[in-house]
Amino acid sequence: MTPELKHFFDSMGAYFEGVPEGVGLERLYAAHPGWQTPRTRTALYGGFVRGHVRGALEKLFPLSRHAVGEAAWDALVEEYTRTRPARHYEINRLGEAFPAHVADRVEALGLAPHVPALARFEWADFAVFASEEVAPEVVERLTANPTLTVLEHAFRICAHVRAGDARKVPDAGEELALLWRHPGQLATFYMEATPSALLVLKMAVEGLTAEHVAAATGMSEAQVRADVVRFARDGLVLLPPESK
Amino acid sequence: MPASYAHRHGLRALGAGIGLRRDFYEALPRTERALDWVEIIPENFLTLGGRTQRALDACRERWSVLPHGVGLNIGGPDALDEDYVSRLSALVRRVDAPFFSDHLCYSRLGGVHLHDLLPLPFTEAAVEHVVPRVREVMARVGRPFLLENPSYYAKMPGGTLAEADFLRHVVEQADCGLLLDVNNVYVNAMNHGYDARAFVDALPLERVVQIHLAGHEVRPDVLIDTHGASVCDEVWALYRYTIARTGAVSTLIEWDQDIPSLDAVLDEADRARGVLREELRR
Repeated sequence: MTPELKHFFDSMGAYFEGVPEGVGLERLYAAHPGWQTPRTRTALYGGFVRGHVRGALEKLFPLSRHAVGEAAWDALVEEYTRTRPARHYEINRLGEAFPAHVADRVEALGLAPHVPALARFEWADFAVFASEEVAPEVVERLTANPTLTVLEHAFRICAHVRAGDARKVPDAGEELALLWRHPGQLATFYMEATPSALLVLKMAVEGLTAEHVAAATGMSEAQVRADVVRFARDGLVLLPPESK
Repeated sequence: MPASYAHRHGLRALGAGIGLRRDFYEALPRTERALDWVEIIPENFLTLGGRTQRALDACRERWSVLPHGVGLNIGGPDALDEDYVSRLSALVRRVDAPFFSDHLCYSRLGGVHLHDLLPLPFTEAAVEHVVPRVREVMARVGRPFLLENPSYYAKMPGGTLAEADFLRHVVEQADCGLLLDVNNVYVNAMNHGYDARAFVDALPLERVVQIHLAGHEVRPDVLIDTHGASVCDEVWALYRYTIARTGAVSTLIEWDQDIPSLDAVLDEADRARGVLREELRR
């Protein structure tokens, strides 16, 4: 690459790094004396690049956005654009570090304490939905859904998301949230972990039979089997053909 | 006129296609309307599983699928992304695409993906920078490759070549095909004050393998290539002018923002197919 071309890329890189629009644009033009192109035209690109980040975040985190309000959201997006630039060619991946960024800014921006957990939930929702994991069409024994993701937080986020009103604050309380992609519908399912869901997952992970569990817990074998079938219908676990 | 790029590579005109966009993942594979081929943005299919892959598989069962990328960064200073090129190559083979394409632009600086199609300066230095990268991509993917003329709103500093000469030098020296975006030609002609037909005449038309048609946004001082509206009459006229010179080539209706119903997009594809048939009857 020639020094002139390298200089061009270096100057554009500095412009896109997030320096405020007016100053950044003047620095860019100062690096190229005699450049006649109207500044308004060049500035379009700064707007486009920032707009892509904002657009992706607003698609991925609609509940978090509503929870923090527009002013705090603008601050979060601007800071994030400057400090955690996109490192992956798939545009949605730029949202991966956003929950951590939100967590870092809770005090400074006066965010409600549940917002980091909500943002983490929203990212997990997308990550599960788009997971590259493929649920096998046939399994030989009870199997946990390979897209299963577990989140632990101090708020009742599942019920909060289900209610669909991001302006309200979720109830406090420890929660283990389970998120997975339904193998048939290919949509994200989620639920707060219950003893029966955790038991069925334990059966899948440890290869326990309904007979073993009934004997160890005192539950009826029929109840254990019914739980397995129920959670298999929701896609949390996968059943071998002979068990369907 | 030299043998066309399509002829040399055994590429036939596929007719009129539309893009597989998320809004159409369920409806497009089931449509009973006429459709000749489908374009995908590979970045949406390289790492995303679930519904995206199901939609792709369903389309592949019915139509030819052509990957048209936005993230190759063919003109950028960073080395080509190993993971990206490997996955792209695998995708091209998986859908058995007769060719694939991306834009003559840059989209990554210092490892940061800017997720935009950013214009290069029209210089010999940029030509010399891009050409070996195009050759490397073609060698690694092993299929014919097309570069698209991007829309641009600002001429980058230091330019010494006319835009058409810049395009010509790159595609001829790299020996790749040209994906001619007719809407981009129109938008650029309006924004930079040149004659769109004269620009088309100045291109190496024997390398045109595919054409894009799209809508744009009219602002008071500039046209923006949004892919968010129907194709305007002026672009349809320029399309007719172009294929009268290239012959019938695969044509795509691009619609990426404010996406209407599938039927509305297919209506545009029908119109393009009608123009292609008229050309074949001439």
